[in-house]
Amino acid sequence: MNNKQSSQPLQQNKQSSDPHNSALHSSLQDNIQQVKKMLGNSSDIIIREIEIGSTELIRAGIFYTDGLTDTPSIQNFIKESLLCDIHANLDQSISSEQNVLGLLKNRFLGVGEIQDVTDINSLLSSLLSGDVVLLLDGCTQGFAIGMRGGKDRGVMESTTESVIRGPKEGFTENMRTNAALIRRKIKDSRLWMETKSIGRVTHTDVAVMYIKGIVNDKILEEVHTRLDRIDIDGILESGYIEELIQDETYTPFPTVYYSERPDVIAAELLEGKVAIIVDGTPNVLIVPALFISFTHAAEDYYQRADISSLIRIIRYISMFVALLAPSLYIAVTTFHQEMLPTQLLIGLAAQREGVPFPAFIEALMMEVAFEVLREASLRMPKAIAQAISIVGTLVIGTAAVEAGVVSAVMVIVVSITAISSFVLPAFPMSMSFRMLRFPMMGLAASFGLFGIILGVIALVLHLCSLRSFGVPYMSPLAPFIKADNKDTIIRVPWWGMFSRPRLINQKNIVREQNNAPSPEAPQNNSGG
Amino acid sequence: MKRKLILLSLFLIALLFVSGCWNRRELNDLAITVGMGIDKSGENYRVSTQVVIPSQVAGKKGGIQTPVTMYKETGESLLEAIRKMTTASPRKIYASHLRVLVLGESLAREGIGDALDLLSRDQELRTDFFIVIAKKTTAEKTLKILTQLEKIPSVNMFASLETSEKSWAPTTTITLDQLIAELLSEGKHPVLTGIQVIGSQEIGETSENLDQIDPSAKVKYSGLAVFKKDKLIGWLNEEESKAYTYINDEIKSTVGVITCPEGGKLSLEMMHSKTTVKGSVTGNQPTINIGIRAQMNIAEVQCSVDLTKTETIAELEKLSNQKLEGFIEASIKKVQRKYKVDIFGFGDIIHRTHPKAWKKLKKDWDQNFTKMPVTVKVDSRIRHLGAVSSSLLKDMEKKE
Repeated sequence: MNNKQSSQPLQQNKQSSDPHNSALHSSLQDNIQQVKKMLGNSSDIIIREIEIGSTELIRAGIFYTDGLTDTPSIQNFIKESLLCDIHANLDQSISSEQNVLGLLKNRFLGVGEIQDVTDINSLLSSLLSGDVVLLLDGCTQGFAIGMRGGKDRGVMESTTESVIRGPKEGFTENMRTNAALIRRKIKDSRLWMETKSIGRVTHTDVAVMYIKGIVNDKILEEVHTRLDRIDIDGILESGYIEELIQDETYTPFPTVYYSERPDVIAAELLEGKVAIIVDGTPNVLIVPALFISFTHAAEDYYQRADISSLIRIIRYISMFVALLAPSLYIAVTTFHQEMLPTQLLIGLAAQREGVPFPAFIEALMMEVAFEVLREASLRMPKAIAQAISIVGTLVIGTAAVEAGVVSAVMVIVVSITAISSFVLPAFPMSMSFRMLRFPMMGLAASFGLFGIILGVIALVLHLCSLRSFGVPYMSPLAPFIKADNKDTIIRVPWWGMFSRPRLINQKNIVREQNNAPSPEAPQNNSGG
Repeated sequence: MKRKLILLSLFLIALLFVSGCWNRRELNDLAITVGMGIDKSGENYRVSTQVVIPSQVAGKKGGIQTPVTMYKETGESLLEAIRKMTTASPRKIYASHLRVLVLGESLAREGIGDALDLLSRDQELRTDFFIVIAKKTTAEKTLKILTQLEKIPSVNMFASLETSEKSWAPTTTITLDQLIAELLSEGKHPVLTGIQVIGSQEIGETSENLDQIDPSAKVKYSGLAVFKKDKLIGWLNEEESKAYTYINDEIKSTVGVITCPEGGKLSLEMMHSKTTVKGSVTGNQPTINIGIRAQMNIAEVQCSVDLTKTETIAELEKLSNQKLEGFIEASIKKVQRKYKVDIFGFGDIIHRTHPKAWKKLKKDWDQNFTKMPVTVKVDSRIRHLGAVSSSLLKDMEKKE
């Protein structure tokens, strides 16, 4: 629907832009007609004609899009700036159109953001981005007055990356709000932001944010090059940008990181990475992305270092469980029964008595059933979600076992795998692991542990071959950089992490003073 | 490039299906064999396998049938017999989880060497199962006795041997690789633990045996079997078996009973024992010196001794030394005289310490062994007296 509507103006725009590309007409009426024609007389475009001045009246046209602007302030603006105060002063100085414009701009328009509009295309783009456009009769120039507003979701708690300790706020769909949320964390003049408009039809605002002096200029340049290369009609979500700028398409692993949390983005910016904020998306992209980032949660940095390290280790274990548990089960029970303790083997064999399918088919069935359940619970209306999940648990958990279709152990294996896959804090990475589980199961079913090891080796090779914006994906593990490993598998206390990742920012590495204060008991202060 | 990739992945996918899943066996295609018995029947081997019925052991229903079933077959070779079993068994015999290998006494008397070849050659078997000899019966009969605490008889036998070795001593656990090493050794003859069926064989084979508090039939370890190379030549009694484990430094814990100076019995619990065997050769005469350092607790006092006096303790220690030295020396003498084979591994010790002399001695080592002087020196130390100092008996005397 949306696309259809917006494609019509595009064609008109294209057709008409050739003859009328340039300046505005001097007649207000002509301009109004032109705009109306180009926008197909859309009903949400409000055009209001007023007269300003008291003796010599000047006709002025105010254009805005209903819903995109802050309506109360438009009313205020018209009432106060144009209709009242202006009258007395304007008469004296109306001599040339330049004067009027200058006067209006400098003395009467009590709003912050004003841009000159000289041609019809920029008029339209301002109008459709939510600015108010003011044109005067007889002038070939007008103003775009920033009064963007309208309904917004507001800053709410992040739903996809929740923490116990740490800020709760999450990004919204509004790019400006998002940028502000980041700026609130980093109040430094070196936090720079460059905005582009990408998408021939959607004209989506895309902002590139970085900290000058920390960011690696080569990476920044590369980001700009890749963004500028994009030629697409619409960007509706940051996923579009991600796919268009990522290094490698045919890989199960994400090479662009994203987060919904301003604190995460701020932390990444401080490490010298580049953030890409896409208007209309609550997910801000971060490049370059390292494998290790996907396994770190925001909370790791807010909790005490020892606890974070332990939790990270648990996370890595569950990463392997999510990837390998079903395939290990298949391999051990169909190829390497001698590896099991006798009692366990007998227990497992007892459960498999009467199960008609080979372990591989059994596992495949259960994994697919789980994926279906997961997808269903995501897609279905929230009101019936509970009912479905009960049915799912009962059918898969209990009935299937009782009916003898699958063994109880398989249900345990699948559940552990499923739970483990949700331990990974980054959703795209847990998706990768869920997907890779299936080929692993295939390998396990055909070659046993040998197959699994082959699969893992292939996976490691692949991971090591990946790069994200020129930075090796597995760094600092491969290539191994000792200093950067203070924040990989474990996290050392903050006073121990003096440096930023070596490969990302080569210039400005020192994060803290070298003689970082390791906490020691105060020597002189006795008692008190 | 892309076409190549697609082709490559197609080949890989095809590979998955043509591989035929080479060794793949589902759990319910396995006849999990936990016990195997080998007997001689004429010129042929008679192999009996104890196969677990998983649903009876671990299933929800459980307990209606016997937990195990048995397949037996006769064949010229072991493998032939085992493969023949598939004519009766719906699943292939899977022996990786073998816990016990029982060898019939008659087979053992004829020689076990040939029977062991398959077991050590086949890659399916792990070498961590225990090997025992069915004393005065056949292996098959031993494997047929149902047991209570551990439902699976072979697991019961395995666990029982393991615990008795740890806390009672006159049994020894020998796994396949150890046995083969001993068979090949020039200075030691193997020894295997014997297992006996006590009680009624007929009732023991039925689940009636499980319905009794005191089962009609039990399997029980008793004594060690003495081998000359791979042929069984006789049995050691309990005390001699214990002496064997002392000399081989396999004692983990055991109990020794001594007679008090004024009559009555006193039990000592062995806490820790270390045996050092030293060999020496003078001229052509090898000698062996056995030194045992033993630490023990007083476990049970049935006589009136004053344990608070250090002299008493010293005396008890002396008594314990005499007792241990006595029966160990007697056992060695008996083996030297009666069986004339070196089961203690003295030859290996001479080999290790005097390799040159060994070259001359090894030719007729068993002959040398029988004439060899062996001295035993025990150093007992009593460490703890237990929770009470003097015995109840003594307290009663005082009151009177």
